[in-house]
Amino acid sequence: MNSKHRFSLLWVVFIVGLAVLPFVTPGTYVIGVMCFVAFYATLACGMAVLLEQAGIFSLAAPTFFGLGAYVAGILAAREILPPWAGIIFAALVVAAIAYIIGAPLLRLRGYYLACATFGLLFIVEIALAQSGEITGGHDGLMGIPPLSVVGFTLRGDFHYYFVSWVLCLGCLWFFFNMMNSRVGRAIKALHDSEVAASSVAINVPRFKLKVFVLTAVMASFAGSLYCFYLQFTTPSMFGFPLLVELLTMIVIGGATTLYGPVLGSVVLIWLREAIHVYLKGILPKLTAEVDAVFFGVLIVAILIFMPEGLAGGLDRLAHFGRRLLGKSA
Amino acid sequence: MTLLSETVQYAISGITAGSIYAVIGICWSVVYLITKVLNFTTGEFVMLGGMLTWAFHTMGFGLPSSVLFAVACTIAISMLLERLVIRPIRFPTEMTYMMLTIASASVIKGLVLLQWGSESRRIEPFFGSGVIHFFGAGVTPQVLCVVAIMTLITLGLHLFLNHTLFGTALRASAINQTGAKLMGIDIGRFRLFCFGLAGGLGAVTGIVTAPITFTGYEIGLLTGLKGLVAAIAGGWSMTGTVAAALALGLLEGFGAGFVSSGLKDVLALIVMILFLILQTISFPGLRRR
Repeated sequence: MNSKHRFSLLWVVFIVGLAVLPFVTPGTYVIGVMCFVAFYATLACGMAVLLEQAGIFSLAAPTFFGLGAYVAGILAAREILPPWAGIIFAALVVAAIAYIIGAPLLRLRGYYLACATFGLLFIVEIALAQSGEITGGHDGLMGIPPLSVVGFTLRGDFHYYFVSWVLCLGCLWFFFNMMNSRVGRAIKALHDSEVAASSVAINVPRFKLKVFVLTAVMASFAGSLYCFYLQFTTPSMFGFPLLVELLTMIVIGGATTLYGPVLGSVVLIWLREAIHVYLKGILPKLTAEVDAVFFGVLIVAILIFMPEGLAGGLDRLAHFGRRLLGKSA
Repeated sequence: MTLLSETVQYAISGITAGSIYAVIGICWSVVYLITKVLNFTTGEFVMLGGMLTWAFHTMGFGLPSSVLFAVACTIAISMLLERLVIRPIRFPTEMTYMMLTIASASVIKGLVLLQWGSESRRIEPFFGSGVIHFFGAGVTPQVLCVVAIMTLITLGLHLFLNHTLFGTALRASAINQTGAKLMGIDIGRFRLFCFGLAGGLGAVTGIVTAPITFTGYEIGLLTGLKGLVAAIAGGWSMTGTVAAALALGLLEGFGAGFVSSGLKDVLALIVMILFLILQTISFPGLRRR
């Protein structure tokens, strides 16, 4: 059995498992949580591609997530566009913004790019909170209608479960193909050395901008769906705590593989649920900032003791197992 | 209020803010230059200073002793951070450093929130609450105290870095680590010292500003970021940082006064982004070597 074959088998098992899950679990609790997993996984996957594959140290993923949510939400709540058109329009707007911001910012590298995108995170959060007439300010945007496409209205966790996981797996599939294409190889090359990449006729700024805009659009789609799922958004949902959560997912899962962040988001969201269920009695005020304590400790522990994350650990385990089997056979 | 007195008032608040950003900016650059870690917990040290002083003070300690305890605790925390979080990393990259410090910042912030709640806290002003009038603008003694202490810190650091053996060694290891090691300088100890210094200075800043602006668990990040803006705009040098911080403070003071106080935080961040972008653009004929 070659490695490609086994790989696709694992994916089939994963997808079948996901498809069967809503029918075997009682109630909507598990499905609801898995919706969150899907949204976060999409976002974390895009961010991991930027951070690890392309070496673009951008922390702007929550910003584009939030912009996607707000643009689609405002358009739908004010009944300017139907929700499905709002999602597409939001993606276009975010793509334009990412292009305009990315063109000058991606000339920066390392810490400076991180600082600039970190600043962007706060700028957007404060701007959303301050422009109260349009966005609802600190209290959040209310009155977002449910998502409906050609007369079919999505209601409840069950529908959103399938939509969000289709989006997540679609993004994964897209990134997987992209990284195995000419574009992906170019991106990997410029991660290793920009000078070497440009010496073999890779247009470094253009490829960087391309992957930056692509991940921003993915984040925007996830954000738009997220706002229709919750029917409610506040600026603080897209701030620093979300960034910490995303970093935790990427670190837990390991960013060297594409499925790492998905694994990370499954672990992280269920961990968050476990914290909320079991520590409710001990810690009365459970906010995103309190969750961030656990995630922060987790990031530090994993970076020190298991730098490759879960995916790296699993890979090593599989390698070890194969060698063991090969020897015994 | 006349335009003159308004202008003076905004200038005073700008200079106060600027002197605070200057010291915070120095905290960032001291750590960055020696350890190459962009320490996102800097702002949390500022917050910790204020909050710990408040906590010790409400526990019944006098103001001077609670200030002392708070500074000592913050220094200890920041040294522990270097020892337990930054140093054990085997293959450090800029990205892991940044993730580590962001994670530590969120841990500190969350723990403070858990322990002392989300209310804003205030320390009593050190020298009473009278108002000194000046061109029709009011200045409280606390503001003068802040500016004086920040100036003293900056001058003291300048003297320390340029006129003592230890300071010279610090500068040397910032310029060339390998060279410094070859001259028998213990870099590991210096890294610890730099974190301690940044923690201590941050704590002092947080304490002296706590009577003017309220302190609370969430002030750390934005205050810290503004210091970072000053450090980046000042090119990580001390004089540059001070100049940039004062300019930033004045810009913020006038921006908040004449434009909108809600968007004054955005202003500093936009300045940072514009500055970073401007650095990358090389104009023909102005090319750097």
